[in-house]
Amino acid sequence: MASTQHVLLSPAELAYIHASLSLSPPIRPDGRTPTQFRPLVAETDILPGTNGSARICFADGTEAIVGVKAEVERTPGADAVYDPDHAYDTNAGETALEAGQSDWVELSVEIPGVRDDDSGVAFLSAVLSEALLADGAFSARLRINRRFHWKLYLDILLISPPLSYPLPLLSLTTHLALLSTRLPRLKSEGDEDPFFDDDWAAAPHLFPRHDTTTTSRPPITLLVMAAGRNIVFDPSREELAVADVALAVSVVATTAGTGKKGGGRSLRLLSVRTIDPPSRLTPPGVANEANSAYGAKAAGLVAGQGQRQPEARAAEAERVEGVWRAPRGGSKAGVLAALVGKVLEEGGVVDEVLEALEGVDLG
Amino acid sequence: MPLDTSAYSLALLRVDGRRWNELRRVHAQIRTQAAADGSSYLEMGHTKVMCVVTGPSEPGARRGGTTGGAGGGGNNAAEVSVTVVVAGFSSVDRKRRGRGDKRNLELQSTISNALAASLHTHLYPHSTISISLHVLSQDGSLLAALINAATLACVDAGIPMTDYVVACTAGSTSTYAANDEDADPLLDLNHQEEQELPSLTVATLGATDRVAVLVCESRVQASRLEGMLAVGVDGCKQVREILDRVVRDKGRKMVSEGTVERGIGLESMDLD
Repeated sequence: MASTQHVLLSPAELAYIHASLSLSPPIRPDGRTPTQFRPLVAETDILPGTNGSARICFADGTEAIVGVKAEVERTPGADAVYDPDHAYDTNAGETALEAGQSDWVELSVEIPGVRDDDSGVAFLSAVLSEALLADGAFSARLRINRRFHWKLYLDILLISPPLSYPLPLLSLTTHLALLSTRLPRLKSEGDEDPFFDDDWAAAPHLFPRHDTTTTSRPPITLLVMAAGRNIVFDPSREELAVADVALAVSVVATTAGTGKKGGGRSLRLLSVRTIDPPSRLTPPGVANEANSAYGAKAAGLVAGQGQRQPEARAAEAERVEGVWRAPRGGSKAGVLAALVGKVLEEGGVVDEVLEALEGVDLG
Repeated sequence: MPLDTSAYSLALLRVDGRRWNELRRVHAQIRTQAAADGSSYLEMGHTKVMCVVTGPSEPGARRGGTTGGAGGGGNNAAEVSVTVVVAGFSSVDRKRRGRGDKRNLELQSTISNALAASLHTHLYPHSTISISLHVLSQDGSLLAALINAATLACVDAGIPMTDYVVACTAGSTSTYAANDEDADPLLDLNHQEEQELPSLTVATLGATDRVAVLVCESRVQASRLEGMLAVGVDGCKQVREILDRVVRDKGRKMVSEGTVERGIGLESMDLD
């Protein structure tokens, strides 16, 4: 399941899509505005056997289910710190154990018909777990006391065949599943062996909904691409096939205080990954002047390059308006900065998406 | 987790309050997923599975982790390839099953063989019907639930088939060692009963007595086998009624919503 799956579009079609995406304002094949997401159907708490679960269906029919399961695990090396007689005396190793460890979260992605050691699947799970673990704030939530912690297993299933690059879908579903995740209420104190309340109704959310001070949310990873001068969010498969650059940008939102909804939300960038867009592997178009069907055969022979393929010549030729040429080389730093800046924009797409996801009933 | 089997003989009620011949709640939906050729969702008690069918389509590159080949010999018939993904969160304790897991492979080839015999694969030479099954929650009768869900999804995909392949489990109230003569056969075991009691999974072709699949992984006294089988086959008939109702309800709904045209000869069909 690479991002570079084959798209059955001809060079002429690619050139057309790229041209219409480069217009100002861009015209997308499905009529969305550049910052508009695909409509989605979401539900949470669908599986009573998990600590948290969610399901999202995108309008193009792709569907994902995420289940979160938690287990209590002994923090290795922490027993040396703990001495029942002097439980609160020693501060040795305190700082090391205050933060979470990245192996407290295990994330697995399952995509039907794809081996689980496939490079694309490994990349997806790397992007998703990187976003979760980037700032250590998430795994710090899993700390019970100095000797024990929660181990969180996130199983991400793509139910439908992968019609478009599933990263945004999987990320949003994971976000929702984590929002609905609840862990049993701790009854024991200090560094004792943990003892939990067996009343599930009393179990607090991993991400408290209404915190008095600051509310933080699980991270989300968005797919952004650039075509010409335009920046397009949540590209569909056809759009990704003509992308100049595609980025997976992970952000986390923190709402300060109990101000009005969406008021004091501040966004923080966690990670950026470039996605290898399939556009780099697309065949180039042939301009009419170089096309033998339009009488260009003679021109090629005159130049003494008759033995070379017309496609090879076309690829090397100057960029001609309306003729598709796969993007080559790296992307400009300015474009990357613009993409990331657009994601982090105040009141931008991230705010919109987060508000929509908060609207989902968490039961 | 010992099951208190002695309690059964007192009130003739099982751990979850059912009688010997009662099924758990079966809830099914078809066409749950817009992008697939066929899809279904099935709950048998707390066992929940989802199925997505793609095809019949041109066979792609050999995919990893699928088991197929049944009916696919010689390319004169469609190949039915089945993938079972058991989600890590499906059981009480999280357990990850890899693609190469032996139990998974056996489930896949059983389902593939059963469906290939019932689907008219000869109508689709040189093609593949790929069925991917996701187990979201398990509480016994896993194979039966998978077969039922796959059947429903194939109906939704519009692949011609002889009849529904419906499955159900049956067990016996006493273990192999206990030699009591008045052991009752049980229908549709849950996980707890499956751990404790001898059980078998039987699938039949529709409401007939023709057995398509018979899997028994525990030791059973030969004298009790006949009773268990009879109860299982009887359960399959009940399951077929339920699945058939689901398909008809969906069809009726689609006709009344105008999603599909009313077929020829259906003018007299009562659409309430």
